Amino acid sequence: MNPTFTVLLYSSIAAGVAALGAISPRGRPGLPASWIGWSNALAAGLMLGAAFMLAANVEQAPLALAGGALVGILFTHWTHAVTGTSDLDLNQLDEVDPTYGYRIMLTGTLHSASEGVAIGAAMYLDLLFGISMAVAIAVHNVPEAAIQSAILRSRGVTSRDAAGLAVAVNLSQVLLAVVTFAVLTAAPELLPWAAGFAVGALINLVLVELLPESYKQAGSTSIAVVTFVAMGMVAVVRWLVAP
Amino acid sequence: MIREPVVVVFMLGLITALATGLGAIPFAFVRAVSGRTIAWANALASGLMLGASFGLVVEGTKYGGAQTLAGGALGVLFILLTQRALQGRDVRFGSATGQSAREMAMIVIVMTVHSAAEGIAVGAAFAGGPTLAVLVTAAIALHNVPEGLAITAVLRPRGASVAKSAAWSIFSSLPQPLLAVPAFLFVDAFRPALPYAMGFAAGAMVFMVFEELLPEAYEEGSRARVGLLTSLAVVAMILFQAYLG
Repeated sequence: MNPTFTVLLYSSIAAGVAALGAISPRGRPGLPASWIGWSNALAAGLMLGAAFMLAANVEQAPLALAGGALVGILFTHWTHAVTGTSDLDLNQLDEVDPTYGYRIMLTGTLHSASEGVAIGAAMYLDLLFGISMAVAIAVHNVPEAAIQSAILRSRGVTSRDAAGLAVAVNLSQVLLAVVTFAVLTAAPELLPWAAGFAVGALINLVLVELLPESYKQAGSTSIAVVTFVAMGMVAVVRWLVAP
Repeated sequence: MIREPVVVVFMLGLITALATGLGAIPFAFVRAVSGRTIAWANALASGLMLGASFGLVVEGTKYGGAQTLAGGALGVLFILLTQRALQGRDVRFGSATGQSAREMAMIVIVMTVHSAAEGIAVGAAFAGGPTLAVLVTAAIALHNVPEGLAITAVLRPRGASVAKSAAWSIFSSLPQPLLAVPAFLFVDAFRPALPYAMGFAAGAMVFMVFEELLPEAYEEGSRARVGLLTSLAVVAMILFQAYLG
């Protein structure tokens, strides 16, 4: 299979899997607060594990890795500030402001763009590593979409539309994964910068978007356990796919 | 000049422990301790500890991935059990009591356990010859400075003086000379323990960050700032270790 097609295929699967998050458990619209907290923590741990795994693979160029990470951190910090989402509660179920939904979708789209860079850079390093990265991101997309769908459904959106929107938000992942892969194929010397960007962006997204909410929704011990187990899961997936 | 290698290993290990105390110095310049100071100090400590754990896991997986992971799970279990042990008691740490005292005790326990793992690594590296020994000592000594900073970042805002924070930082590194000597003497017996020890240390630190330091940081400060400072500290620590490793 052509490698670019492999990137397209697996990043599309990762984006498509988000639709599963719109299926609400036992037909109830929405999730209990503690489940939203654990979903956030699960997504956070998977992202952190993916970021660390990526960093471990470009260790040979620490300066470019750190430079890229700095750009990634400042990029996410800046986009949060510009879109007015720095202190936005991303899990509000009863917000009446109509712009709230748009801001949630915008934040989600920017969030998955950084994940696309992570998949593209990992694919370029080694296709099997890229696939394990796509699997980690795909699994993490489910709880993320579940939270978004809970918000949308409490505002009367049908579950089919919520599933469609969940995939739409993650389309930037597919685009950025393919573009990153293509750019790195043309200019391999940019690899540590691209990987560094993804590492910095992913870590900052976890710390600003996912973890702060989770602590309000469930106890800090259970959040820490879920986050830690999710980080371990990434290591296990990586080991299973490419021992 | 002392020629006895065991004494040399111990002395070099002691130097690395003393270097940890240097991490307390930046806090001599922080005057008022407010809620925001706690948020920033916690964020700084979290980032440094997450970065250090990353380095330990990368190093540990070179000896065995599954063992490192098993060590990590044991590290989490260790923290949960230690917390349970401290929970019911009237913990005092200097003049602090209650929740702050428990947190101060936890950071000292976690960082002491973590430097035990490093002590074994140092001792095992010393077995590689004198040139390597000096290089490793210089690297570990430097690497200990931000760890002292992480400890002081937790102790200082909760009422410990800079001198006391420095003393506890040095204390937390004492397992380094103490464990470096047996690891140097019985390097073959200690080597299989390395991935477990490194995973254990990383698991304990990561868990402490997610369970105590970050939630408290979010309570006291804005999450954009906490996130920014923590992620910058992670990257700085990874860069720092890349040049020392």
